[in-house]
Amino acid sequence: MLSKYVDACCKSEPHYRMLVENSCDIMFLLDADGCFTFVSGAWKTALGHDPGDVLGHSLHEFIHPEDLSRIETAQLTAIRTGSTQEIVARVHHAGGSWRWLTLRGAPHVDEDGVLTLIGIAQDVTERLRIEEIMAQSEKMIMVSGLAAGMAHEINNPLGAILQHAQNIERRVSADIPANLKAAAEVGVDLELVRAYLQKRGIFDFIGHIRNAGVRASDIISNMLQFSRRGDAGAEYVDLSALLDGMLELAGTDYDMKKKYNYSGIELRREYAADLPPVQMVVAELEQVLLNILKNAAQAMAAAAMGRPPRIIIRTRLLEGMVVVEVEDNGPGMDEATRLRVFEPFFTTKEVGVGTGLGLSVAYAIVTKGHRGAIEVHSSPGVGSCFSVMLPLQGRA
Amino acid sequence: MTNSAISVLLVDDDEMIRECVAAYLDDEGFTVHAAGSGEAGLEKVASLRPLVCISDMRLPGMNGEEFIVKAHVLSPATAFILHTGMLYSLSDELCSLGMKDDDVLLKPIHDLSRLVGKIWNLAASGRAI
Repeated sequence: MLSKYVDACCKSEPHYRMLVENSCDIMFLLDADGCFTFVSGAWKTALGHDPGDVLGHSLHEFIHPEDLSRIETAQLTAIRTGSTQEIVARVHHAGGSWRWLTLRGAPHVDEDGVLTLIGIAQDVTERLRIEEIMAQSEKMIMVSGLAAGMAHEINNPLGAILQHAQNIERRVSADIPANLKAAAEVGVDLELVRAYLQKRGIFDFIGHIRNAGVRASDIISNMLQFSRRGDAGAEYVDLSALLDGMLELAGTDYDMKKKYNYSGIELRREYAADLPPVQMVVAELEQVLLNILKNAAQAMAAAAMGRPPRIIIRTRLLEGMVVVEVEDNGPGMDEATRLRVFEPFFTTKEVGVGTGLGLSVAYAIVTKGHRGAIEVHSSPGVGSCFSVMLPLQGRA
Repeated sequence: MTNSAISVLLVDDDEMIRECVAAYLDDEGFTVHAAGSGEAGLEKVASLRPLVCISDMRLPGMNGEEFIVKAHVLSPATAFILHTGMLYSLSDELCSLGMKDDDVLLKPIHDLSRLVGKIWNLAASGRAI
């Protein structure tokens, strides 16, 4: 009976090994100090570290500082209550980035009383990314619909304000015969009326009404971008040339020059050499990239980071998409901010500095106009990286 | 051609817009008529045969596009301007009537002298679509 059991056990040992070593889930064991005593092959596949660099080290060495306290709590809870604990945390990749992992652990005490934490982990970075994109796009559809509907309803009253202000200017003009005739009928001298209006600054007020109307109308026309359908005007463009032109254009922008010290920013170009032409509406893509660039310059100018400001403009091919990345080494942003940057009217800038429409218009242009995607990654204190992805097969 | 010889029909369901555009065009000396719907607009097109017709896109009943297609049959010599609050690219049907992208003016028009320039161009080119 016993020999039969031992026999089966020996037979199943290679099976277990095969299962553990080839599973795409990461399996690991931690000792009572939280140090690795075993990691399966999937660890290296997912995170790039050789097992030799992991064994004997504490799990905590691999965990993102912001997630550390949650991990510690989960470990303590598992040990104290003897239950399985699950947590999603960022784990260090040998390449320097962070991957999101679901970590599940349960304590095990052997007959000698030795405590081991048995763990299973899965890389969920891609799944979280897709979930975020879905949530983002759902939110944008809702907010954009509202913004576009509102924009449309505001156009007529705004038109009336702008155009009646213009009508008022003209109805006191001496150039229109009907004005002179009406003035004569009521017995006033139109020139004197004009002199009075001038002296009391009323012409200026009317001018201000028109200027304010134009400003509001610019905001509305930006909001209307959300309701756009993909339209004509796309052409095949050499992306590297477009980026060079855009970087030069940025140098002529008043804000970039005067406020954000554009010439003091190191611009590093890391263009992929083998990019095919990409279909796009040039003016729109320039608007998107200029906006991202301007935000980067502004963020770096606003926060002294104690290091020379630098922007990397990178292009590459990724799964049928052309990716343009604009990476700064500015202050970065926290997760709550990052999740909202594309929302219409969301701004971290002071009133009057930003309307909070720049990036949401960029979002609409890229996702609706070009069937692409736009994302942002950010680490507070390290910098932000915006990625604009355009499909290679074009917009149709 | 003097402005008074140019008859313009405004079709917009928003009275505010009809009023302010009409006041401006009136001051410019144009002969201005107005209608509040596509249906009322068609009657005026048939009876007045305006040289230029400025139509809103979103109208109660038939929309601006349908209105122009029908109005064109009634008065082939009338030139049309679409005055719309939405981003809009001309339908194939309107293109086939000879309308061009620059015949679409986005609301709000900041400076109505632009509209006057447009009317003159259409009247001068005799572009009967």
